[in-house]
Amino acid sequence: MTGPIGVGIGWRPEIAGFVAELPGLRFVEVIAESVPTAGPLPAGLPDLRERGVAVVPHGVRLSLGGAEPVDPARVAHLAAVAVLTDATLVSEHIAFVRAGGLEAGHLLPLPRSREAVTAVCTNVARAQAELPVPIALEPIAALFDWPDDELDEAAFLTEILDRTGAHLLLDVANVYANARNRGTDPLDLLDRLPLERVAYAHVAGGAERDGYYHDTHTDPVPRGALDLVGELCARRRPPALLLERDGNYPPAAVLRAELDTLAAVSGFPVVT
Amino acid sequence: MIPTGPVGVPAARTTGPAVPTLAARQAALVAALAAGAPPPPGFTPEPLAAARRALLRKRAGEVARNWPLLAAGLGPRWPEVFGRWAEGRPTAGAHRDGWDLARDLRAVGELPPLGAEELAVWQAGHRYPKPGRPPRPRRLPSWGHAGSAVAIQFAGRVRLLRPARRRP
Repeated sequence: MTGPIGVGIGWRPEIAGFVAELPGLRFVEVIAESVPTAGPLPAGLPDLRERGVAVVPHGVRLSLGGAEPVDPARVAHLAAVAVLTDATLVSEHIAFVRAGGLEAGHLLPLPRSREAVTAVCTNVARAQAELPVPIALEPIAALFDWPDDELDEAAFLTEILDRTGAHLLLDVANVYANARNRGTDPLDLLDRLPLERVAYAHVAGGAERDGYYHDTHTDPVPRGALDLVGELCARRRPPALLLERDGNYPPAAVLRAELDTLAAVSGFPVVT
Repeated sequence: MIPTGPVGVPAARTTGPAVPTLAARQAALVAALAAGAPPPPGFTPEPLAAARRALLRKRAGEVARNWPLLAAGLGPRWPEVFGRWAEGRPTAGAHRDGWDLARDLRAVGELPPLGAEELAVWQAGHRYPKPGRPPRPRRLPSWGHAGSAVAIQFAGRVRLLRPARRRP
Protein backbone atom coordinates (compact mmCIF):
# COMPACT_ATOMS: atom_id res chain seq x y z
CA MET A 1 0.00 0.00 0.00
CA THR A 2 1.46 3.30 -1.07
CA GLY A 3 -1.19 5.48 0.53
CA PRO A 4 -0.92 7.98 3.38
CA ILE A 5 0.65 7.25 6.77
CA GLY A 6 -0.02 8.64 10.25
CA VAL A 7 -2.44 11.29 11.44
CA GLY A 8 -3.58 13.87 8.90
CA ILE A 9 -6.19 16.60 8.51
CA GLY A 10 -8.59 17.68 5.78
CA TRP A 11 -6.94 20.65 4.08
CA ARG A 12 -9.38 23.54 3.63
CA PRO A 13 -8.49 27.12 2.55
CA GLU A 14 -9.91 28.49 5.83
CA ILE A 15 -7.43 26.52 7.96
CA ALA A 16 -4.50 26.47 5.48
CA GLY A 17 -2.42 28.60 7.84
CA PHE A 18 -3.04 26.28 10.77
CA VAL A 19 -2.25 23.18 8.68
CA ALA A 20 0.99 24.74 7.39
CA GLU A 21 2.21 25.08 11.00
CA LEU A 22 1.81 21.41 11.95
CA PRO A 23 5.43 20.19 12.23
CA GLY A 24 4.82 16.44 12.23
CA LEU A 25 2.17 16.36 9.50
CA ARG A 26 2.68 13.64 6.88
CA PHE A 27 -0.56 13.85 4.87
CA VAL A 28 -3.64 15.91 4.06
CA GLU A 29 -6.76 15.41 2.00
CA VAL A 30 -8.16 18.00 -0.43
CA ILE A 31 -11.68 18.19 -1.82
CA ALA A 32 -10.97 17.35 -5.46
CA GLU A 33 -13.79 19.51 -6.82
CA SER A 34 -12.32 22.59 -5.10
CA VAL A 35 -8.95 22.28 -6.86
CA PRO A 36 -8.89 24.03 -10.26
CA THR A 37 -6.94 22.07 -12.84
CA ALA A 38 -6.12 25.15 -14.89
CA GLY A 39 -3.45 27.12 -13.11
CA PRO A 40 -1.43 26.50 -9.96
CA LEU A 41 -2.49 24.58 -6.87
CA PRO A 42 -4.30 26.62 -4.18
CA ALA A 43 -1.90 28.70 -2.07
CA GLY A 44 -0.37 26.65 0.71
CA LEU A 45 -0.57 23.25 -0.96
CA PRO A 46 2.68 23.55 -2.98
CA ASP A 47 4.59 24.30 0.25
CA LEU A 48 3.14 21.18 1.87
CA ARG A 49 4.11 19.10 -1.17
CA GLU A 50 7.66 20.47 -0.96
CA ARG A 51 7.80 19.39 2.68
CA GLY A 52 6.91 15.88 1.58
CA VAL A 53 3.35 16.01 2.94
CA ALA A 54 1.25 13.58 0.87
CA VAL A 55 -2.02 14.85 -0.64
CA VAL A 56 -5.05 12.60 -1.19
CA PRO A 57 -7.66 14.11 -3.58
CA HIS A 58 -11.10 13.33 -2.15
CA GLY A 59 -14.05 13.49 -4.54
CA VAL A 60 -17.50 14.37 -3.25
CA ARG A 61 -19.56 14.78 -6.43
CA LEU A 62 -18.67 11.89 -8.74
CA SER A 63 -21.90 10.06 -7.86
CA LEU A 64 -20.29 6.63 -8.27
CA GLY A 65 -23.47 5.03 -6.95
CA GLY A 66 -25.69 6.65 -9.54
CA ALA A 67 -27.58 4.33 -11.87
CA GLU A 68 -26.45 6.60 -14.70
CA PRO A 69 -22.87 6.37 -16.01
CA VAL A 70 -20.39 8.49 -14.07
CA ASP A 71 -19.67 11.79 -15.89
CA PRO A 72 -16.35 11.39 -17.80
CA ALA A 73 -15.53 15.07 -17.24
CA ARG A 74 -15.76 14.61 -13.46
CA VAL A 75 -13.50 11.53 -13.62
CA ALA A 76 -11.05 13.47 -15.80
CA HIS A 77 -11.01 16.27 -13.21
CA LEU A 78 -10.26 13.86 -10.36
CA ALA A 79 -7.50 12.26 -12.45
CA ALA A 80 -6.01 15.68 -13.25
CA VAL A 81 -6.04 16.69 -9.56
CA ALA A 82 -4.26 13.42 -8.72
CA VAL A 83 -1.51 14.30 -11.21
CA LEU A 84 -1.30 17.93 -10.01
CA THR A 85 -0.94 16.90 -6.38
CA ASP A 86 1.41 14.01 -7.16
CA ALA A 87 -1.04 11.74 -5.33
CA THR A 88 -0.64 8.00 -4.84
CA LEU A 89 -4.31 7.47 -3.98
CA VAL A 90 -7.69 9.15 -4.52
CA SER A 91 -10.98 8.55 -2.74
CA GLU A 92 -14.72 8.87 -3.34
CA HIS A 93 -17.97 7.73 -1.74
CA ILE A 94 -20.26 4.77 -2.19
CA ALA A 95 -23.22 7.08 -2.75
CA PHE A 96 -25.10 9.05 -5.36
CA VAL A 97 -25.53 12.82 -5.39
CA ARG A 98 -27.79 13.42 -8.39
CA ALA A 99 -30.46 11.63 -10.38
CA GLY A 100 -33.01 12.52 -13.01
CA GLY A 101 -31.24 15.83 -13.67
CA LEU A 102 -31.55 17.02 -10.05
CA GLU A 103 -28.68 17.68 -7.63
CA ALA A 104 -29.30 16.39 -4.12
CA GLY A 105 -26.60 18.60 -2.64
CA HIS A 106 -25.61 15.72 -0.38
CA LEU A 107 -24.33 12.13 -0.41
CA LEU A 108 -27.30 9.77 -0.60
CA PRO A 109 -27.31 6.07 0.28
CA LEU A 110 -27.83 3.26 -2.21
CA PRO A 111 -30.25 0.43 -1.67
CA ARG A 112 -28.15 -2.50 -0.45
CA SER A 113 -29.31 -4.57 -3.43
CA ARG A 114 -27.45 -6.63 -6.03
CA GLU A 115 -28.65 -4.17 -8.69
CA ALA A 116 -27.02 -1.30 -6.78
CA VAL A 117 -23.81 -3.30 -6.25
CA THR A 118 -23.60 -3.76 -10.02
CA ALA A 119 -24.32 -0.07 -10.67
CA VAL A 120 -21.59 1.15 -8.31
CA CYS A 121 -19.06 -1.48 -9.48
CA THR A 122 -19.65 -0.50 -13.12
CA ASN A 123 -19.06 3.17 -12.34
CA VAL A 124 -15.99 2.43 -10.20
CA ALA A 125 -14.56 0.39 -13.11
CA ARG A 126 -15.22 3.32 -15.48
CA ALA A 127 -13.38 5.65 -13.08
CA GLN A 128 -10.52 3.22 -12.46
CA ALA A 129 -9.92 3.00 -16.22
CA GLU A 130 -9.12 6.73 -16.30
CA LEU A 131 -7.47 7.30 -12.91
CA PRO A 132 -3.67 7.24 -12.70
CA VAL A 133 -3.71 5.88 -9.12
CA PRO A 134 -5.80 3.46 -7.03
CA ILE A 135 -9.10 4.59 -5.50
CA ALA A 136 -10.40 4.08 -1.98
CA LEU A 137 -14.19 3.91 -1.51
CA GLU A 138 -15.91 5.45 1.50
CA PRO A 139 -19.20 4.19 2.96
CA ILE A 140 -21.40 7.12 4.00
CA ALA A 141 -23.54 8.08 6.95
CA ALA A 142 -27.26 8.09 6.20
CA LEU A 143 -30.37 8.84 8.23
CA PHE A 144 -32.55 6.40 6.29
CA ASP A 145 -32.43 3.02 4.56
CA TRP A 146 -34.10 1.89 1.35
CA PRO A 147 -37.09 -0.40 1.81
CA ASP A 148 -35.67 -3.32 -0.17
CA ASP A 149 -32.20 -4.08 1.17
CA GLU A 150 -31.03 -7.56 0.18
CA LEU A 151 -27.63 -7.37 1.89
CA ASP A 152 -26.48 -6.00 5.22
CA GLU A 153 -23.87 -3.23 5.33
CA ALA A 154 -20.84 -5.53 5.75
CA ALA A 155 -21.87 -7.88 2.93
CA PHE A 156 -22.76 -4.95 0.66
CA LEU A 157 -19.42 -3.21 1.17
CA THR A 158 -17.33 -6.38 1.00
CA GLU A 159 -18.92 -7.38 -2.28
CA ILE A 160 -18.21 -3.95 -3.81
CA LEU A 161 -14.58 -4.04 -2.62
CA ASP A 162 -14.09 -7.61 -3.88
CA ARG A 163 -15.54 -6.87 -7.29
CA THR A 164 -13.72 -3.55 -7.84
CA GLY A 165 -10.42 -4.30 -6.12
CA ALA A 166 -10.70 -0.83 -4.58
CA HIS A 167 -9.34 0.09 -1.15
CA LEU A 168 -11.61 1.00 1.74
CA LEU A 169 -11.76 4.49 3.21
CA LEU A 170 -13.43 3.69 6.50
CA ASP A 171 -15.16 6.69 8.10
CA VAL A 172 -15.31 5.82 11.79
CA ALA A 173 -17.67 8.72 12.46
CA ASN A 174 -20.04 7.38 9.80
CA VAL A 175 -19.97 3.93 11.40
CA TYR A 176 -20.67 5.59 14.76
CA ALA A 177 -23.52 7.71 13.34
CA ASN A 178 -25.18 4.86 11.47
CA ALA A 179 -25.03 2.57 14.50
CA ARG A 180 -26.48 5.27 16.75
CA ASN A 181 -29.30 6.16 14.38
CA ARG A 182 -30.24 2.59 13.52
CA GLY A 183 -29.51 0.92 16.82
CA THR A 184 -27.02 -1.48 15.22
CA ASP A 185 -23.74 -2.73 16.71
CA PRO A 186 -20.74 -0.83 15.29
CA LEU A 187 -18.31 -3.48 16.57
CA ASP A 188 -20.11 -6.17 14.59
CA LEU A 189 -19.51 -4.13 11.44
CA LEU A 190 -15.82 -3.66 12.29
CA ASP A 191 -15.52 -7.41 12.89
CA ARG A 192 -16.99 -8.22 9.49
CA LEU A 193 -15.33 -5.63 7.23
CA PRO A 194 -12.11 -6.49 5.34
CA LEU A 195 -9.95 -4.26 7.54
CA GLU A 196 -6.81 -5.29 5.64
CA ARG A 197 -8.17 -3.24 2.73
CA VAL A 198 -8.46 0.00 4.71
CA ALA A 199 -6.22 2.62 3.07
CA TYR A 200 -7.04 5.24 5.70
CA ALA A 201 -9.81 6.21 8.04
CA HIS A 202 -11.85 9.39 8.53
CA VAL A 203 -12.84 10.81 11.91
CA ALA A 204 -15.18 13.79 12.33
CA GLY A 205 -17.51 15.41 14.81
CA GLY A 206 -21.26 15.54 14.78
CA ALA A 207 -24.27 16.57 16.81
CA GLU A 208 -27.66 15.36 17.92
CA ARG A 209 -30.63 17.08 16.27
CA ASP A 210 -34.31 16.10 15.83
CA GLY A 211 -33.54 12.83 17.59
CA TYR A 212 -30.84 11.86 15.08
CA TYR A 213 -27.07 12.01 15.26
CA HIS A 214 -25.80 14.07 12.31
CA ASP A 215 -22.25 13.71 11.01
CA THR A 216 -21.87 17.48 10.67
CA HIS A 217 -18.06 17.92 10.57
CA THR A 218 -18.72 21.22 12.37
CA ASP A 219 -18.77 19.84 15.93
CA PRO A 220 -16.17 18.22 18.20
CA VAL A 221 -15.48 14.49 17.76
CA PRO A 222 -17.61 12.71 20.38
CA ARG A 223 -16.09 10.32 22.88
CA GLY A 224 -18.04 7.42 21.36
CA ALA A 225 -16.43 7.93 17.95
CA LEU A 226 -12.96 8.14 19.54
CA ASP A 227 -13.64 4.91 21.42
CA LEU A 228 -14.56 3.33 18.09
CA VAL A 229 -11.21 4.48 16.65
CA GLY A 230 -9.60 2.61 19.55
CA GLU A 231 -11.66 -0.49 18.78
CA LEU A 232 -10.67 -0.28 15.12
CA CYS A 233 -6.96 0.08 15.96
CA ALA A 234 -7.18 -2.82 18.41
CA ARG A 235 -8.43 -5.04 15.57
CA ARG A 236 -6.17 -3.70 12.86
CA ARG A 237 -4.73 -0.21 12.89
CA PRO A 238 -5.32 1.56 9.55
CA PRO A 239 -2.17 3.00 7.90
CA ALA A 240 -3.52 6.52 8.42
CA LEU A 241 -6.26 8.51 10.17
CA LEU A 242 -7.66 11.83 8.98
CA LEU A 243 -9.54 14.47 10.97
CA GLU A 244 -12.28 16.11 8.88
CA ARG A 245 -13.54 19.57 9.75
CA ASP A 246 -15.75 21.60 7.42
CA GLY A 247 -16.88 25.01 8.57
CA ASN A 248 -17.30 26.43 12.09
CA TYR A 249 -13.54 26.14 12.56
CA PRO A 250 -12.53 26.27 16.24
CA PRO A 251 -9.49 28.10 17.64
CA ALA A 252 -6.14 26.51 16.72
CA ALA A 253 -5.63 25.17 20.25
CA VAL A 254 -8.90 23.21 20.06
CA LEU A 255 -8.02 21.71 16.66
CA ARG A 256 -4.55 20.83 17.94
CA ALA A 257 -6.03 19.09 20.96
CA GLU A 258 -8.35 17.10 18.72
CA LEU A 259 -5.42 15.97 16.53
CA ASP A 260 -3.43 15.05 19.68
CA THR A 261 -6.35 13.00 21.01
CA LEU A 262 -6.55 11.16 17.69
CA ALA A 263 -2.82 10.37 17.86
CA ALA A 264 -3.17 9.21 21.48
CA VAL A 265 -6.11 6.92 20.74
CA SER A 266 -4.44 5.35 17.69
CA GLY A 267 -0.85 5.28 18.91
CA PHE A 268 0.41 7.30 15.94
CA PRO A 269 3.08 10.00 16.49
CA VAL A 270 1.67 13.45 17.34
CA VAL A 271 1.67 15.88 14.42
CA THR A 272 1.34 19.10 16.43
CA MET B 1 -47.30 -15.54 -9.55
CA ILE B 2 -43.55 -15.42 -9.13
CA PRO B 3 -41.73 -16.76 -12.19
CA THR B 4 -39.43 -19.65 -11.38
CA GLY B 5 -36.20 -20.64 -13.05
CA PRO B 6 -34.18 -23.86 -13.08
CA VAL B 7 -33.64 -25.41 -9.64
CA GLY B 8 -31.13 -23.44 -7.57
CA VAL B 9 -31.05 -20.49 -9.96
CA PRO B 10 -32.98 -17.46 -8.78
CA ALA B 11 -35.48 -16.18 -11.30
CA ALA B 12 -34.50 -13.00 -13.08
CA ARG B 13 -36.33 -9.99 -11.76
CA THR B 14 -39.26 -8.96 -13.93
CA THR B 15 -38.72 -5.67 -15.68
CA GLY B 16 -41.36 -3.35 -16.97
CA PRO B 17 -43.48 -0.55 -15.61
CA ALA B 18 -44.34 -2.49 -12.43
CA VAL B 19 -40.68 -2.58 -11.31
CA PRO B 20 -39.09 0.86 -11.64
CA THR B 21 -35.42 0.89 -12.55
CA LEU B 22 -32.77 1.96 -10.04
CA ALA B 23 -32.37 5.17 -12.06
CA ALA B 24 -36.08 6.00 -11.74
CA ARG B 25 -36.10 5.18 -8.04
CA GLN B 26 -33.02 7.30 -7.39
CA ALA B 27 -34.63 10.18 -9.30
CA ALA B 28 -37.79 9.86 -7.21
CA LEU B 29 -35.75 9.93 -3.99
CA VAL B 30 -33.79 13.04 -5.00
CA ALA B 31 -37.04 14.75 -6.04
CA ALA B 32 -38.54 13.96 -2.63
CA LEU B 33 -35.50 15.24 -0.73
CA ALA B 34 -34.65 18.28 -2.82
CA ALA B 35 -37.71 19.32 -4.81
CA GLY B 36 -40.70 18.75 -2.53
CA ALA B 37 -41.97 15.61 -4.29
CA PRO B 38 -43.87 13.05 -2.18
CA PRO B 39 -41.78 10.33 -0.48
CA PRO B 40 -41.25 7.30 -2.73
CA PRO B 41 -43.20 4.19 -1.70
CA GLY B 42 -41.79 2.01 1.04
CA PHE B 43 -39.56 4.59 2.73
CA THR B 44 -40.13 5.35 6.40
CA PRO B 45 -41.32 9.00 6.39
CA GLU B 46 -39.67 10.27 9.62
CA PRO B 47 -36.00 9.66 8.78
CA LEU B 48 -36.63 10.89 5.24
CA ALA B 49 -38.11 14.12 6.62
CA ALA B 50 -35.11 14.49 8.97
CA ALA B 51 -32.78 14.06 6.00
CA ARG B 52 -34.72 16.73 4.06
CA ARG B 53 -34.40 19.18 6.96
CA ALA B 54 -30.67 18.41 7.30
CA LEU B 55 -30.25 19.09 3.58
CA LEU B 56 -31.95 22.47 3.91
CA ARG B 57 -29.70 23.37 6.88
CA LYS B 58 -26.61 22.39 4.90
CA ARG B 59 -27.77 24.49 1.93
CA ALA B 60 -28.49 27.45 4.20
CA GLY B 61 -24.90 27.28 5.49
CA GLU B 62 -23.44 27.05 2.00
CA VAL B 63 -25.50 29.98 0.71
CA ALA B 64 -24.59 32.04 3.80
CA ARG B 65 -20.91 31.46 3.07
CA ASN B 66 -21.44 32.78 -0.47
CA TRP B 67 -23.70 35.69 0.61
CA PRO B 68 -22.40 36.59 4.10
CA LEU B 69 -23.96 40.09 4.21
CA LEU B 70 -27.36 38.87 3.06
CA ALA B 71 -27.30 36.23 5.81
CA ALA B 72 -25.98 38.70 8.38
CA GLY B 73 -28.66 41.22 7.39
CA LEU B 74 -31.35 38.68 8.19
CA GLY B 75 -29.56 37.69 11.42
CA PRO B 76 -31.31 34.99 13.47
CA ARG B 77 -34.12 34.88 10.85
CA TRP B 78 -31.68 33.53 8.21
CA PRO B 79 -32.34 29.78 8.62
CA GLU B 80 -36.11 30.28 8.59
CA VAL B 81 -36.17 32.74 5.67
CA PHE B 82 -33.83 30.59 3.63
CA GLY B 83 -35.65 27.38 4.55
CA ARG B 84 -39.03 28.79 3.54
CA TRP B 85 -37.61 30.00 0.21
CA ALA B 86 -35.64 26.81 -0.55
CA GLU B 87 -38.26 24.24 0.49
CA GLY B 88 -39.32 22.40 -2.64
CA ARG B 89 -36.87 24.34 -4.78
CA PRO B 90 -33.86 22.27 -5.91
CA THR B 91 -30.47 23.93 -5.62
CA ALA B 92 -29.04 25.72 -8.62
CA GLY B 93 -25.68 26.11 -6.85
CA ALA B 94 -25.07 28.01 -3.62
CA HIS B 95 -24.13 31.26 -5.28
CA ARG B 96 -27.04 31.33 -7.70
CA ASP B 97 -29.42 30.33 -4.88
CA GLY B 98 -28.35 33.33 -2.80
CA TRP B 99 -28.62 35.62 -5.81
CA ASP B 100 -32.17 34.41 -6.57
CA LEU B 101 -33.19 34.69 -2.91
CA ALA B 102 -31.88 38.27 -2.73
CA ARG B 103 -33.80 39.20 -5.89
CA ASP B 104 -36.98 37.59 -4.60
CA LEU B 105 -36.67 39.39 -1.25
CA ARG B 106 -36.10 42.68 -3.07
CA ALA B 107 -39.23 42.07 -5.15
CA VAL B 108 -41.37 41.81 -2.02
CA GLY B 109 -39.58 44.63 -0.19
CA GLU B 110 -37.97 42.38 2.43
CA LEU B 111 -34.32 42.65 1.44
CA PRO B 112 -32.35 44.01 4.43
CA PRO B 113 -29.94 46.94 3.74
CA LEU B 114 -26.81 44.76 4.05
CA GLY B 115 -28.29 42.30 1.57
CA ALA B 116 -29.25 45.13 -0.81
CA GLU B 117 -25.67 46.40 -0.79
CA GLU B 118 -24.28 42.92 -1.37
CA LEU B 119 -26.71 42.35 -4.25
CA ALA B 120 -25.85 45.74 -5.83
CA VAL B 121 -22.12 44.99 -5.61
CA TRP B 122 -22.54 41.56 -7.18
CA GLN B 123 -24.77 42.86 -9.97
CA ALA B 124 -22.24 45.57 -10.79
CA GLY B 125 -19.31 43.18 -10.88
CA HIS B 126 -20.72 39.93 -12.20
CA ARG B 127 -23.08 38.47 -14.75
CA TYR B 128 -26.11 36.73 -13.34
CA PRO B 129 -24.98 33.09 -13.60
CA LYS B 130 -26.65 30.20 -15.36
CA PRO B 131 -27.88 27.56 -12.90
CA GLY B 132 -24.98 25.52 -11.57
CA ARG B 133 -22.39 27.85 -13.09
CA PRO B 134 -20.15 30.22 -11.16
CA PRO B 135 -20.81 33.94 -11.79
CA ARG B 136 -18.49 35.48 -14.42
CA PRO B 137 -16.93 38.89 -13.80
CA ARG B 138 -18.05 41.73 -16.07
CA ARG B 139 -15.35 43.34 -18.18
CA LEU B 140 -17.06 46.51 -19.47
CA PRO B 141 -17.94 49.30 -17.02
CA SER B 142 -21.25 48.50 -15.36
CA TRP B 143 -23.43 49.31 -12.43
CA GLY B 144 -25.89 47.54 -10.18
CA HIS B 145 -28.61 48.65 -7.82
CA ALA B 146 -30.88 47.05 -5.28
CA GLY B 147 -33.39 49.28 -3.55
CA SER B 148 -31.47 52.49 -2.83
CA ALA B 149 -28.04 50.78 -2.88
CA VAL B 150 -25.99 51.56 -5.98
CA ALA B 151 -22.63 50.04 -6.95
CA ILE B 152 -20.40 50.65 -9.96
CA GLN B 153 -17.72 48.55 -11.57
CA PHE B 154 -14.87 50.05 -13.58
CA ALA B 155 -11.70 48.20 -14.71
CA GLY B 156 -12.61 45.25 -12.49
CA ARG B 157 -12.99 47.34 -9.33
CA VAL B 158 -16.40 47.47 -7.70
CA ARG B 159 -17.37 50.31 -5.35
CA LEU B 160 -20.53 50.84 -3.43
CA LEU B 161 -21.62 54.30 -4.60
CA ARG B 162 -24.64 54.74 -2.35
CA PRO B 163 -25.50 52.57 0.64
CA ALA B 164 -28.98 51.19 1.18
CA ARG B 165 -31.31 53.27 3.32
CA ARG B 166 -31.55 52.04 6.92
CA ARG B 167 -34.94 52.12 8.53
CA PRO B 168 -35.06 54.74 11.31
